[in-house]
Amino acid sequence: MNKTISKCLLTLWLLIIAQLSTVQVVNAQQIILPAEPFSQVAFDKMKVKYQGKKWLTLLWSVDCPPCMKELALVQKLQQQKNDIAVVIINVDTYENSKQQRDEVLLAFDLIQRTNLYFQEGLEDQSRYHIDPQWFGELPRSYFIDEKGTFHGKSGLVSKKLLDKWLLTQ
Amino acid sequence: MMLAKKINPLGFVVISLVLLIIPKAYAGHEQHQSSLKPIKTSNKIHCQQADIRCAKTVTSAFAPNGDLWRLWSQSQALYYQVSTDNGVKFSASKRIPIADEKISARNENRPKIAFDNNQGVYLSWAMPRERKYTADIRFSFSSDYGKSFSAPITLNDDGLLTGHSFNEMVVNEQGDVSIVWLDGRLKEINKNETNNGSAIFMATANMKKSPTDFSDRALVNQVSVNNTLVNHSFVNKEVVNGTCVCCRLAIDYNSKGNLAILWRHIYGDNIREFALTTLNEQKIPYQVSYDHWKINGCPHQGGALSIDDDNRYHLVWFNQGDKGKGIFYANSDNAGETLTAPLAVGEQAAQAAHPHMSEQNGIVDIVWLQFTGKEHQLWHQRSGDKGNKFTAAQIIATAKNGADRPFIVHKEGKSYVSWQRFQQGHWLSQL
Repeated sequence: MNKTISKCLLTLWLLIIAQLSTVQVVNAQQIILPAEPFSQVAFDKMKVKYQGKKWLTLLWSVDCPPCMKELALVQKLQQQKNDIAVVIINVDTYENSKQQRDEVLLAFDLIQRTNLYFQEGLEDQSRYHIDPQWFGELPRSYFIDEKGTFHGKSGLVSKKLLDKWLLTQ
Repeated sequence: MMLAKKINPLGFVVISLVLLIIPKAYAGHEQHQSSLKPIKTSNKIHCQQADIRCAKTVTSAFAPNGDLWRLWSQSQALYYQVSTDNGVKFSASKRIPIADEKISARNENRPKIAFDNNQGVYLSWAMPRERKYTADIRFSFSSDYGKSFSAPITLNDDGLLTGHSFNEMVVNEQGDVSIVWLDGRLKEINKNETNNGSAIFMATANMKKSPTDFSDRALVNQVSVNNTLVNHSFVNKEVVNGTCVCCRLAIDYNSKGNLAILWRHIYGDNIREFALTTLNEQKIPYQVSYDHWKINGCPHQGGALSIDDDNRYHLVWFNQGDKGKGIFYANSDNAGETLTAPLAVGEQAAQAAHPHMSEQNGIVDIVWLQFTGKEHQLWHQRSGDKGNKFTAAQIIATAKNGADRPFIVHKEGKSYVSWQRFQQGHWLSQL
């Protein structure tokens, strides 16, 4: 009898573990994603975090082929230095944006970096908050110096410039 | 089995229950995150059903009988509504009766609708394919004013999994439908080339005439028109190579019946300037802007082109170059070979962007967006003398939750502005 109960419980246990491990994988993918909605508070936290340091904010969209090239450059940089000071912000707010965004970040191994994303209905407010002189062209990079001054650049930036900014501090 | 013997059965139950609870705790965390969405549930429009307020883009056009059609994409389908009173009231939403498929409808890239004078309704759109930045140009036609539509066909005839997108469509009085789009086939074929741009391709057909071109290169499609299969050829022709990959095209017929195209071209080392060509009239396009915007990126801002009865070409564009920043208007009496001095439109400091423009009976209307940091403003400026002088700019509408690009449409020589405001809805007004 005890054997039967034990067998049943073991089967139950294995089933639970099997189911749980699936859930954990699914949840793990969602939980380990550090992406959070862009807000003034979230961005100000980044400014505080990197105060006194040189850091980079990169804005990108899944619709922007040159953005992929810049993400690839950041991927290479993090292979040289794991703790590069980069904040990556995705601007897409469409039905399947989350999935597309995560696919790209996973592909470039950037899922563990600090990732923010624009929220639907607040796209232009977010853009304006970052820089009222930016018109939404992509990719958009901000090189933020030790004094906290933002230096914006539109279009793909050179590897040399990124290396100089992020590897020399 | 040895393991089972060593562990108290009660322990299994307790551990199992604890482990069952953990995923629920995670799920709660996700729900908390999703509650951070900016729009309160009570205010949010539920988009399970067709509702134009859910659309990111809306395309409007007046039919020859004066009806206004507005078209949008939602959940892999195209929907439309018709207004018989210039946009005051609209019919219930109707789905274009074609099977589900992906439809590009964001930013500069959106479905198009056009009409002929004989009950014909023409639709074209880009259908994203399985690989990123790939799509096909699709086309469907109704010969009975929307009662039925042909099964969609793919117009690009290269058979390549590459970019075909940013379609524009026009139908002339003879019923010739011309569709132009940005095409990635040349980049795909010549992979060694350093060109990082697209090409413009075009296809033309007349749905009510017998096809005349059955050359080897012709794409022969069978389109069901009133249950009769009619062959039509949409021969693909290259117009130009080396264009920007993410800005809409602008097209119009000139007074000689030739089609003119305005686009953002890549000159030299990523200098993105506007270029203009008129088919059948020139081999080398004219460069028409000289703002020197150097950007290896996506401006996401095309221009507008409107040609009047005297063959004056009216143009607007947007640039952020070293030599010119903002919206500019100019016109040309020689098809773009020379232009008037560009007139700055809107306030650069107020984020003036996304202009559209149209000429009707000597009146040139320009609309564009400005942004205060909190709301979008739709601005308008008019010239009553074919673009020589313009009135002062004025705000004509605002949007609180984001805004689509504005577009000018025509009816009986009068211009109307069509503007989709997210969550607020579509807005149409005579200018």
